[in-house]
Amino acid sequence: MRNILLTLSLTLILASPAFAGLNVVATLPWIGSLAKEIGKDKVSVTTLVKPSQDPHYLDAKPSMILAGRKADIIMYNGLDLEIGYLPLVIEQSKNPRIMTSMPGNFDCSRFVKVLEKHAIVDRGMGDAHPLGNPHYHFSPTNILHVAEGMTNALAGMDKANADYYRANFRSFSERFKEKQKQWKSVNLKGKKFVAYHKLYEYLAEEFGFKLVGYVEAKPGIPPSAGHIEALIESMKASRPDAIITSDFFPKHESESISAKTGVKVITLPGDVGNMKGTDDYFSFMDKILAALR
Amino acid sequence: MRTSIFTALLLAAVTVPLSALAADNLDDRVNRLDTELGRQSETIREQQKTIEELKEHLKEQNTDKLPTTEENAGKSTGLFGGSLMTNPYISLVLDAKGYASNLKNRDLESRGVPGFTTEGRGLRNGFNVDAAELFIFAPVDPYFNLYVNVPVTDSGATLEEAYFVTTSLPEGLQVKGGRFKSNTSRLNSQHPHAWDFADIALPYKAFLGSEGSGGENGVQLTWLPQMPVYTLLGVEAFQGDNPLIFGSDPNWGPHAFSAFAKTSIDTSDNSTLYAGPWAMFGSTNSTGILPDTGLRGDSSLYGMEAVWKWKEGLQGVTLQGEYLYLVQNGDLTATDPAGAFVSVDHLRRHQDGAYLQALYRYGRWRICARYDRLELFDNTFKIADVQQSFGGKPWRATGSLEFIPTEFSMIRAQFTSDHSARDGRVNDEGILQFVFTIGAHPAHTF
Repeated sequence: MRNILLTLSLTLILASPAFAGLNVVATLPWIGSLAKEIGKDKVSVTTLVKPSQDPHYLDAKPSMILAGRKADIIMYNGLDLEIGYLPLVIEQSKNPRIMTSMPGNFDCSRFVKVLEKHAIVDRGMGDAHPLGNPHYHFSPTNILHVAEGMTNALAGMDKANADYYRANFRSFSERFKEKQKQWKSVNLKGKKFVAYHKLYEYLAEEFGFKLVGYVEAKPGIPPSAGHIEALIESMKASRPDAIITSDFFPKHESESISAKTGVKVITLPGDVGNMKGTDDYFSFMDKILAALR
Repeated sequence: MRTSIFTALLLAAVTVPLSALAADNLDDRVNRLDTELGRQSETIREQQKTIEELKEHLKEQNTDKLPTTEENAGKSTGLFGGSLMTNPYISLVLDAKGYASNLKNRDLESRGVPGFTTEGRGLRNGFNVDAAELFIFAPVDPYFNLYVNVPVTDSGATLEEAYFVTTSLPEGLQVKGGRFKSNTSRLNSQHPHAWDFADIALPYKAFLGSEGSGGENGVQLTWLPQMPVYTLLGVEAFQGDNPLIFGSDPNWGPHAFSAFAKTSIDTSDNSTLYAGPWAMFGSTNSTGILPDTGLRGDSSLYGMEAVWKWKEGLQGVTLQGEYLYLVQNGDLTATDPAGAFVSVDHLRRHQDGAYLQALYRYGRWRICARYDRLELFDNTFKIADVQQSFGGKPWRATGSLEFIPTEFSMIRAQFTSDHSARDGRVNDEGILQFVFTIGAHPAHTF
């Protein structure tokens, strides 16, 4: 029996198609899409979280562990966003290449300017992330820094193709800067929005609009009737331009607030690929800014 | 600077008559120096302003460049559960229960599952605190992670688990060693507060005890080969201290072993199927099977588990079932209640059990149902080749409703109709359970 198992597994190992390039595992869709921009056909990218999935609540599925087992490098958002499953995926992958402090363990948040680092945090504040707001992928400036860090990491691991990755980054960064000019021309200064979750702080910071309230009472805690009433009262005074949300979040609260205040609801893509026509970072950002304009 | 002094002197010399100069010489000098001082401090102010401006500029440039890997390299990523707050990562879980039954405490304590175990209910009418469980975790160095779990109960603190896990072995191999709960099956390795119900499924209680095999001293080797489908293979060797199926051996150790295989595929983006067989075998020295008896012999416990889970955000369905089959042979020594020897006879057991459970979660609420029963296909319990009769087949039906405000708190109301005592007396019990976690973020094991 054991022999049969061994033979079977050996056959399967040998039969699996040999891919010469780097095996990149990305936790979130935007990370995977960035890795593809830099690595192109020299990397094979597996993304653990599907664009339709809320990255907060996933389990460490065996398929994720298996992907980790095969990874040369695992790239993740960090700042505790994947805290529920990533530590398990990494340990149970039994893959020394991606353990913490190895070159194959790539924390994208190391390259960004983090907002809302809390000096004092307790869980009475809800699902607050003590290391700072983890949703920095809404900030193009940060994304360019991450892409650069990613390029260096890939070039360091795969020295033979280092120039290839650097050239890809240069062309990506040129396109990116061109796009940034377009994005910066969108004037959102002075606009005010109410957000469902603390998801858009980086967007507000970068494009100069204000977040004047949240549908959630505290991050990750669904709102009470009292909280919603208070929010509606405050919205009468602050007169926001819209309520912004993503489709991971329940719709009915935002819609009922909208019905009572006349403030429209805008659904933004939560990640690359989360809505139609957001297949890469450029179209993702285009879609967001077009919706907020 | 010098030119300005010179100019000042020159101007003074030209404009001021010599006679006046002689008379006002001292006054004039004081005035001149005053003016000079004023000019100099003006210059200093300007220079300071320039310095400030340059500093400001430099700062802006730095923030533009920020943050680089090097500057952030030392910061904790929070990857292992506790962020900056805790190192090592520590959490404490409180598991408290309110219990109500139609049976008296005395009856609950003596209520075993005849033909399987003499272990009682373990809960008393009224308030119960099962445990405050302390979890400590940290990487030891680049090669090992360490986990410790110390439940503190009213009888003191016990070392439930304390083990290392290797992180740098090649080829998908991993060694775990120390004291830990066997990973043969999912219910067995879960901690009581993480079970989907307030108590363990009946086959586990009947064959292993109310906490499964429990923490055992031993070592485990697992292998995750690089295959297209998730396949985990593992073997374990244990001291064999579980008092029901193994029991301490006066001569040898380790004397309990296990092997398991798990395989899993995603049936869609949001759903996963997970299944695998397992087996546990070893020598037995147990006094927990029948009252006033001791068994010395050998036991093999075989199991098969299957889980299907669909989860989308905070909504999900889980279907889970397990089948267990026990083969046990040995010498059963009977004593009278005073402990005096009565007889030795051969005992032969072939018994099985299974449970099936379904969970449905919507937002912060979850409803769960479970059915478990013993002796589905085999009820062989022969003493000296004579089949023993204990009464009707043991079974239980359980339903529960959970309120889960956050990942750190859970309140469960559970009702069970328990027909496992085989004497026609049903235990209709209600449990109100509170589980609270503080400290490091709990892991979402599949």
